[in-house]
Amino acid sequence: MFCSQCGANNPDTALVCAQCGRNLQAVTPASPLQPTPLQATGVVLPAGTTVQNYLVFAILTTVFCCLPTGIPAIIYAAQVNGKLQAGDVAGAQIASKNAKMWCLISLGLGIGCMALYAILIMVGVLSGIHQNR
Amino acid sequence: MAKNRLLAAMLAVCAAGVVMLRVFDPATSGIFPPCPVHYLTGWYCPGCGSLRAIHQLLHGDLRAAWALNPLTVVLLPFLTYGLASFVLFEIRGQGLPQPFLRAGWIRALCGAIILFGIVRNLPLHPFELLAPGAMLRF
Repeated sequence: MFCSQCGANNPDTALVCAQCGRNLQAVTPASPLQPTPLQATGVVLPAGTTVQNYLVFAILTTVFCCLPTGIPAIIYAAQVNGKLQAGDVAGAQIASKNAKMWCLISLGLGIGCMALYAILIMVGVLSGIHQNR
Repeated sequence: MAKNRLLAAMLAVCAAGVVMLRVFDPATSGIFPPCPVHYLTGWYCPGCGSLRAIHQLLHGDLRAAWALNPLTVVLLPFLTYGLASFVLFEIRGQGLPQPFLRAGWIRALCGAIILFGIVRNLPLHPFELLAPGAMLRF
C-alpha cells in the first residue's frame, strides 16, 4: 500500500505510514481478521488524517523565539512518534494535541513579548522626548 | 476559506520577517526584541544569536552566522524543508517526502538543544566559544 501523503510503500497491514505517520487504515478499511488498536480504543479517525507531531514548530519556537516553552512541545512531538511506532494511534493523537497546545502557548508568549517590547520602546521614546525638552 | 486566509497571513508574516532580517541587523538596530531569557536571567538560551545568525546568512556570511549560533545554521535547512512541506500539505493536501523520525532521535535532538543552551554559558575555554559571537573575537 502506498501512502497518500509521502508515497512510501508500506505493508498492507500497516496502521500508519512508517515514513510520515499518516493514518493508513482510515483510507482503506481494515481487514476484519486484523484487530487494530484503532478499533480496540474505539477511536475513529476521519479519512486520511495525519497525526502531526508539530516538531518543526516546536523547534522554531525554542530556537528562533528563544522560548523554553518549546521544550515540552518537542518532548510531546517525540511522544507522538513513539506512540505511532507502538501502533497506539489514540495515544499519539493525545500527545499531538499536547504538542500543539505547547506550540500555541509558545506562540502566545512570543507575541506577548514582542508587544511588551514595542510598548517599552514607545515609553522609552516618549520619555526621551520629554527629557529633551 | 478561513484556513487559507490564516495560511496567507502566516506566509506574509514570514516573508516580512525575512525582509526585515535582511535589511536590519538585530545586533545594531533596536527593532527586534531581545531574547526574553537573556534579558531576565543574563544567561544565553539555545536560541540566543539566532536572529543575528539568520541576518548574516541572508548576507551570505556563513562564518559569522556559525559564530553567532551554530545550532541555527545546522537546523535551518531542515526547518525550511519542514515548513515548505507543511505549506504544500495545506495547499494541495500532499507534503514533501519526509522520513519518519523515531522517538529516540527526537529526544536526542531535544537533549542536544538543552545541552547546547547549558554549555554555551560555561566560562571554560572550549565552551565559551559557543556564546553568541565569541568565535568572531578569535
